[in-house]
Amino acid sequence: MSDNILEIEGLVIHYETEDGCVYAVNGINMFLGKKKTLGLVGETGAGKTTTALSILNLVPNPPGVIKEGSIILDGTSILSLSEKELEQVRGKDVAMIFQDPMTALNPVMTIGEQIAESVMLHGEKHKAAALERAKEMLRQVGIADSRSSDYPHQMSGGMRQRVVIAIALACEPKLLIADEPTTALDVTIQAQVLALVKELKQKFDTSMLMITHNLGIVAEVCDEVAVMYAGRIVEQGSADEVFNNTKHPYTEGLFESLPNLRKRGEDLVPIKGMMPDPMDLPEGCAFTPRCPYATSECKKMVPELKHHEETHFVACRAYDSEDFKLRSKS
Amino acid sequence: MVDNIILEVQDLKKYFNTAKGMLHAVDGVSFKVRQGETMGLVGESGCGKSTTGRCILKLLELTSGKIIFNDQDITNYNPRQMRKLRTDMQMIFQDPFSSLDPRQTIMQLISEPIRERRIFKDKKEIEKKTLELMDTVGLASRLINSYPHELDGGRRQRIGVARALSVNPKLIICDEPVSSLDVSIQAQILNLLKKLQNDMGLTYIFITHDLSVVKYFSNDISVMYLGQMVEKASSDELFAYPMHPYTKALLSSIPIPIVGKEKQERVLIKGEIISPVDLPDSCRFYNRCDFGEERCLKGNPQLREVRPNHFVACVCVE
Repeated sequence: MSDNILEIEGLVIHYETEDGCVYAVNGINMFLGKKKTLGLVGETGAGKTTTALSILNLVPNPPGVIKEGSIILDGTSILSLSEKELEQVRGKDVAMIFQDPMTALNPVMTIGEQIAESVMLHGEKHKAAALERAKEMLRQVGIADSRSSDYPHQMSGGMRQRVVIAIALACEPKLLIADEPTTALDVTIQAQVLALVKELKQKFDTSMLMITHNLGIVAEVCDEVAVMYAGRIVEQGSADEVFNNTKHPYTEGLFESLPNLRKRGEDLVPIKGMMPDPMDLPEGCAFTPRCPYATSECKKMVPELKHHEETHFVACRAYDSEDFKLRSKS
Repeated sequence: MVDNIILEVQDLKKYFNTAKGMLHAVDGVSFKVRQGETMGLVGESGCGKSTTGRCILKLLELTSGKIIFNDQDITNYNPRQMRKLRTDMQMIFQDPFSSLDPRQTIMQLISEPIRERRIFKDKKEIEKKTLELMDTVGLASRLINSYPHELDGGRRQRIGVARALSVNPKLIICDEPVSSLDVSIQAQILNLLKKLQNDMGLTYIFITHDLSVVKYFSNDISVMYLGQMVEKASSDELFAYPMHPYTKALLSSIPIPIVGKEKQERVLIKGEIISPVDLPDSCRFYNRCDFGEERCLKGNPQLREVRPNHFVACVCVE
């Protein structure tokens, strides 16, 4: 058995709509070590959420079709499981936290019942015991257990997200997928929730896939980072490597767009242009039209994700020449 | 203009009468904005920052207080006078998806304020001005007949900027103008706003929850909490010497995109904002504050100057 909880290979996902085919995920390879946290970073439309949904085989079909690839979760191939077997995996082995806690919770069930429901679906026979477990989980996420008979609308956004986390962790999953878990929250509440997620992840020995567009959050909680662009991973490595030894021009562009590192008055350096339309991706490297280093070679073929250092991978043709360096690194 | 002050807000209050009682959305806010500068109004959901912005434009009636714009007291202006004045004061909204009429073309959207105010009557002139505005905000002229749904968020926000600029305003209130955009696009819009300010001498009130954005953008920053200002200083001063416990917590809550190098220790604040209905007569931050003392419960602290031009509303700050 390998040390990885999750291994994704050659994953291709298309959304086949009436207007044409949306090339959402175009062959990604990704792995996540046990007890590690991987940050999946990218902008709107990069394919982050589609990738996450595929791990639970939840990509809406139709129109979504997983064309190729394999997803191995702790030794089990997810894509070959039956619907019934999948139900055992979902919520038990893999749990997910969504962006908007209000829509993730059932408005007509008390929060205690919602946590207990998940516990009962995965083995607990007695409702009283499940409710007891629910109360314990509430305490774990910092909510007084006396509130277990409250409904979601009686709670604030931060509290609701804590409930969602309690549901996710109630069955002690091996892998926790968090899809922009704090985007809808205020910064002070975001800091609380991130601290909580970090603490509980350690306590429960869970591995985590953190999907976010916020590089600050990645620096805060992740051991490893994968940067996605137009359905492909363009750079992957340890957080230290990706942040301090950035290799891909897109990753560099993301860092240079951030206002908080700069002094007041300096111009920001945005990435020119916009994300390509996933129905009509540019030939070759999808970043070519926006890339300041692009040459005519880049349009010829999609660059492979290549080793740079032992754990640092980059998909950029420019590194074929040995003395290539990014502007910010030279 | 006295001391170059284009806008002065004095003790602005806006209460909403709700079923549960009087909701104190803005509760005694005062500030001045100098011509050609940017004031950042920062705080979390429900602190009253957007309500303050709307009150300045008188999109909401004030409960009490005074607004002085360009040396005129506009507090009691009637809607007709305000309509005239709004050529000088414009607003850019957060969500470029819901703030544009989906059935109008870009030409119609951008030229609407010009047509409404009959600045130009001739069709050719209107089109010329529209194209000029599109060029200013960086929209390709081929898009003139497109509809908003054909464009991405960044371009839609450019339309919002062009509409605000079309009447040659002096002051623009930007209410979270980049919050719904991706970082790479956010940087494009921030650079655009900055360039326009340099070129046209615009004054901005920049309403945001994102402290990293205001640091880049503002001359002065005011931090709001539950309808009141808790700290006010120049941007450099505020980031170098934050004093109010809330400001400190807010600053240290921003996740910093740096790995491996030494980071400031994080001050986590406990709990959440209290209800803005029936507020206690004590420091409103008391329940979340680590430094709370007994004297914090005696009355609502007022802003006082603790360093030159640095105001804090906390009794514990020396």
